[in-house]
Amino acid sequence: MQRQIPLTIVLVMGIVMMVQFFIPHPISRSLFELVNKWARLIGVFALILGAGSLIFYHLTKIQRKAKGWGFSIVALTSLAFMTVVGWLAGPRSMGNPAALYQVIYANVQVPLGASMFAILAFYIVSASYRAFRARNREATILLVAAFLVMLGSVPLGKDIWDHFPKISDMLLKIPNMAAKRGITFGIGLAGTGVALRIILGIERGWLGGGK
Amino acid sequence: MNLLVTLLLLIGAVAPPATTTAPGEATPIVSSGTGTDSAASAPVTPPLPPTKVRAYDTPNDGGKSINLEWQPSPDKDIEGYLVLRAVLGAGELKFDSLDFLPGSENSFVDERADDKQRYVYRVAAVRSAAQGNADSNPVRSAPQWFNADLFNIIVAMAIIFFFILYYIYHARKGKQLFIRRIAGLDAVEEAVGRATEMGRPILFVPGIGDIGQVATIASLNILGEIAKKTAQYGTALIVPNRDPIVFPIAREMVKEAHTKVGRPDTFKPDNIFFVTTEQFAYAAAVDGIMVRDKPATNFLLGIFFAESLILAETGTMVGAIQIAGTDQITQLPFFITACDYTLIGEELYAASAYLAREPLLLGSLVGQDYGKMIIVIVAVLGSALYLLSALKGLNWLTVVSRILKT
Amino acid sequence: MTANAPEKKTFWQWLATIDRRILYLVMCLVVVIPLIAMLRSTVEVTSPVQDVFNAIESLAVHQKPLLVSVDFDPTSRAEMYPMLTAILRHAFARRVKVVELGIWQTGFGLAQRALNETATEYGMKYGEDYVFLGFKVGVDAVILGMGENIKKTFPVDARKIPLDSSPMMSSIRKLSDFGLIVSISAGTPGYQDWLLYAQARYHVRTAAGTTAVSAADAYPYLGSGQLTGLLAGMKGAAEYEALDAQHGFKQASTLASTAMPALSYAHIAIIILVIIGNIGFFASRRRK
Repeated sequence: MQRQIPLTIVLVMGIVMMVQFFIPHPISRSLFELVNKWARLIGVFALILGAGSLIFYHLTKIQRKAKGWGFSIVALTSLAFMTVVGWLAGPRSMGNPAALYQVIYANVQVPLGASMFAILAFYIVSASYRAFRARNREATILLVAAFLVMLGSVPLGKDIWDHFPKISDMLLKIPNMAAKRGITFGIGLAGTGVALRIILGIERGWLGGGK
Repeated sequence: MNLLVTLLLLIGAVAPPATTTAPGEATPIVSSGTGTDSAASAPVTPPLPPTKVRAYDTPNDGGKSINLEWQPSPDKDIEGYLVLRAVLGAGELKFDSLDFLPGSENSFVDERADDKQRYVYRVAAVRSAAQGNADSNPVRSAPQWFNADLFNIIVAMAIIFFFILYYIYHARKGKQLFIRRIAGLDAVEEAVGRATEMGRPILFVPGIGDIGQVATIASLNILGEIAKKTAQYGTALIVPNRDPIVFPIAREMVKEAHTKVGRPDTFKPDNIFFVTTEQFAYAAAVDGIMVRDKPATNFLLGIFFAESLILAETGTMVGAIQIAGTDQITQLPFFITACDYTLIGEELYAASAYLAREPLLLGSLVGQDYGKMIIVIVAVLGSALYLLSALKGLNWLTVVSRILKT
Repeated sequence: MTANAPEKKTFWQWLATIDRRILYLVMCLVVVIPLIAMLRSTVEVTSPVQDVFNAIESLAVHQKPLLVSVDFDPTSRAEMYPMLTAILRHAFARRVKVVELGIWQTGFGLAQRALNETATEYGMKYGEDYVFLGFKVGVDAVILGMGENIKKTFPVDARKIPLDSSPMMSSIRKLSDFGLIVSISAGTPGYQDWLLYAQARYHVRTAAGTTAVSAADAYPYLGSGQLTGLLAGMKGAAEYEALDAQHGFKQASTLASTAMPALSYAHIAIIILVIIGNIGFFASRRRK
């Protein structure tokens, strides 16, 4: 019984939303928007659950003085501080760059996020150096193609040889696009298969395991 | 007083009647010029009106939209077309202008119609403030209950569903179904064993997608299978989550896995936790877990964006064996470069069936492959016919190609 | 009995397994030195970028306004912000009226900053030459709503000024009143939503600016004509800055052009390192 109710809900809603896709009538559109609104609402409540989990996780680490418990203090302090600041500032702080919430966001959160993003530049070097070895025929083709695209993507490449940008463009527009379309096609159809398995109750992993 | 009334009546008798424009007729404009009577400007010749003005309800939509089409005015030097609309009711038609279109246009879509009203449209060819009008038939917009443009999707879905259900039926009957080997999935057992031998945890990252995305569901299905193995061997499994809805589901799956293998006491709920919804903050947190806890095996399965290489490369730095899988095509090259095994696109979706080896799941996998094959054959055939139809004498192939396209 | 000493690496083995810290140091130097030395490079303009430029030029000729959608957040600022400012500078230099909005909440600050920066450079007046609508949740509802009635979707702008009282908005009532929509997008929601609703439904010309990684996904739309033009990554931004410079539009900053030499040398450095790695790999294999 515990499993039958969610399985029935999934079956009914799956079929309803599938049929809804083919009906352009405003009633169908309203149903779609209603379901979307409920999904967003449920997401907000789940955020409360998530925040609770985060607090509990770090409190446990601090209590047990587990490895890295100092960072847990920083995490909880930041969470509490931003919650209080955001709550006091209110939604009107969104358009006001001088609001404390915005100042902290712009001067702490944004540079931290940008720094993490910038790490990619270094990781690309180490990953490329390690992985781009001409071990076999396919790896050699990959290596040559990568060189051509990289040289065609920068002004210096054109200075070296006029044709690098054209070759790079051709590689991106023809074999690259063909492979992408093939993979996208497979993903779309496989997604249909997964969705059908879930709707029919064959795939039940999302229930938390078990039959 | 009587003289005034007589004068007014006399003026009214000789004054020309007000012109009401009738459909199909031109509206001459007499310009009032300056100067003497003899220098009064000649009337501007109005252009010939457009013909065959037809209004009809826009098909396959939710209503409030009317399509208007016409044949161009025979006059080539018109400035454009003025489109007007009147509500059909009791009394004279009162036209309001909707839009002015260039002379090259011969259609218009009115998306502000009210489904409860009947309308008449007027298309006026305009030249030097003179108009040649043509009216349409009365029309009312209405919403449709079925979008016929999507009929080809129904056909494709029917083909796929048929094959899936057919092979599920055969799987139930006990028929052996062949699935090709997927290296990344075959390595799961080895990867879990490695972590157990080294006494180090396994890190499972379910991606940054939400529960509504198929890749996330596929990732969670794989988590269930891996959790069973780790529960059996007593290996620690760490699952940091970015989505607050995915988090409780992941926790339930791992708990259920421990219960299934008869070891509910070894389940550690603290190992499955929510981190943050911010993309790079999540990546930083997971990197921190990798550097501190030094997992022996990393599973990076689900939806990833720019943080994919950050996670994969950090995993390589700590010496973990890495099995990744995503349906985000732009991130696949990073995983292929930095990870030991990569599940590409639909291999991720097939993983739960592949690992569980349950007949029903395998049946659906085989079925979807056959359905895909049929669709690919139709697509290739249609494209080939379309190409061939360009040859002399083979134009009729376009018809066949269009049927396949539909 | 002495323990076995670790085997000494040959030169070729060392070449094949260079410590990643050395690689990171090389990368750091290759990026930082050109920036400090303020090196310059010439950028050749490609046709997708030229198409965007021409489209904005035609707005100036036909006196049609431009809608700019800021669909990125601060993490993608490096690639996307120079594109945004280059396009705004072009529009303001040609006295094209600009309406800007964002469909990413976290991009609000950047959108506002770009407008303020470029409008001040060109002496543009708020309400007469440009308006900032701000951010509103719900992409499809926003675009579809603007397709019917902009003022109903945004009764007030980001400064809480009623749209009715902005002089330039008197002639801009719905999406089809714009001559061009440019979506500077780093992901979803982004240009694909503008194509789906604004271009397909209301037939408004749409151009896009994307990150370099996502540019390849936009090529099919460019090929089919759904996208009028495309700026791809920092190079696309540098090309647009070059076009602005060629036409004599003043530019207080040229972020993308400044970074192009660093980008070029970084690419070359990676290629050289990969070649070195392969030399070491093959040489050490042969010696075995």
